[in-house]
Amino acid sequence: MDASSDTMTANPLALEVLQGFSGTKLELLYRQPSTALAVFRRMLPHLAKTIVMAMLYMPNPFLASDLDAWIRPDAVAEKEQALLVLSSLHVMKTAMQAQGLAQHKSFGVPCRPAGDEVVDIKILDEHARRQWEDILYYMVGSTTVGVEGKSHISDATKSLLELGNFVDKRGRITQTGFTFLLQEVNAQVWSLLIVYLNHAPELLKMDPVEILSFIFMLGSLELGQGYSTANLSSTQKQMLDDLADFGIIYRPSPSTPFFYPTRLATTLTSDASALHSSAAAPTPTFDTGLAGGSGAASKGYIIVETNYRLYAYTESMLQISVLALFTRLTMLFPNMVTGRLTKTSVQRAIAQGITADQIISYLAAHAHPQMLKSTPVLPPTVVDQIRLWQIEGDRMTTTSGYMMIEFATEAEYRDTVEYAETVGLLVWKSDAKRCFFVNRIEQIKSYMANRRGRA
Amino acid sequence: MVKALKGVLVQCDPSIKAILLKIDADSGNEYIIEDLDEGTLFVKESKVASLKEKLKVTLKETVRENTDSDSE
Repeated sequence: MDASSDTMTANPLALEVLQGFSGTKLELLYRQPSTALAVFRRMLPHLAKTIVMAMLYMPNPFLASDLDAWIRPDAVAEKEQALLVLSSLHVMKTAMQAQGLAQHKSFGVPCRPAGDEVVDIKILDEHARRQWEDILYYMVGSTTVGVEGKSHISDATKSLLELGNFVDKRGRITQTGFTFLLQEVNAQVWSLLIVYLNHAPELLKMDPVEILSFIFMLGSLELGQGYSTANLSSTQKQMLDDLADFGIIYRPSPSTPFFYPTRLATTLTSDASALHSSAAAPTPTFDTGLAGGSGAASKGYIIVETNYRLYAYTESMLQISVLALFTRLTMLFPNMVTGRLTKTSVQRAIAQGITADQIISYLAAHAHPQMLKSTPVLPPTVVDQIRLWQIEGDRMTTTSGYMMIEFATEAEYRDTVEYAETVGLLVWKSDAKRCFFVNRIEQIKSYMANRRGRA
Repeated sequence: MVKALKGVLVQCDPSIKAILLKIDADSGNEYIIEDLDEGTLFVKESKVASLKEKLKVTLKETVRENTDSDSE
């Protein structure tokens, strides 16, 4: 496995949250086999998975030096990384008991009520897309001028977006919101759920462990299968309303004793590839980024010409709103919009926090099939100009941090500056003035204390 | 004894640095702690936002920008 797929497997956001949990909380979580599976499948780097698999059936603890013998000497960095993740998640101690995957209710109790209409995958996809697009549309809708906004999302979701700093008090999109918007759907769902996880415990008196284990459980459910709500805890029942509002689950009506996970839920803890393979399924799905409301969801629709004109074949208000963030739209037709990338429009977007690279990758990811025939996909002049517009607005780069001065000896200076450089904290140095600038100081401080101890 | 000073490192073109130095001199050395080299300044943290703002204003006044040709 190469490095890029490695980073996709280890979901950075969720991993961070888990690492922040205490040992006892994690132990509670690992009691649920579905959680253990989700953590194993989705969070761990590949090497960590291998180590866990190998150790799973060992009766006794085994020596760290034996572990070293398994790893090629040139991969020590990867090994350290894997071990760090494992120990911060307290997997090293608890993995064995948690992985005893017995037949357990934590994978959901399937239920198919007789006499009820069959909810097929198409309805689920439709529900998930509609709800999720409403959320996204609510976020961008505010910035679009002249396009009528209609959003059906609940007040709870709105305040959640505000808590997550995706929109500000007046409902206008923020910088974090933009970054959120341009992520792929799976990452978006995770970001939102993590905001939920961070705020629900204090606002709604929910137990974070239960929330998280429910989220992980959703990830192991099967699409198109109904599940009973009977064995859920009260916290988890409370969550159903919110999750239905996000489009992560579907309930025919709020009072029914069962729910259906949508594609947003079932791909939560699987590898990123699950999203791509689902795109190949006969039912239209949305795979990456902001796919459209129309049937041809994952098909590209944007044409950019060398003269900065932009044509987008779309009817989706969401897509139009996103384009309007960085394009000067001029005409709206029944099946397309035309516009132009101008310096003003691009710099306005940059001032709001979108980066040039985000714009470029959005345009490239949604390029019309006709554009994909040429390489590079986007006209180089346009790509370069967007980057130049960004640089132009940003004449000076600022880094806050600490200036280290007044080193007593040349040796002390050299030693410390070299250390700062290897750990990647060094921003600027001047050998002549014997001073250097770092963006964080804690590590340097402890290094210098150690150094004095040695001297 | 080694000291650590908190502040903001500003890196820019020499031309921009000249403008920043002038802004600093005009305001009675309110912004800059030290002039480090031709492209680097060490600036008081609390003053960075206002320095950026002043630079923007100055550039707008002095540099003539091509207006967008927005004709369709």
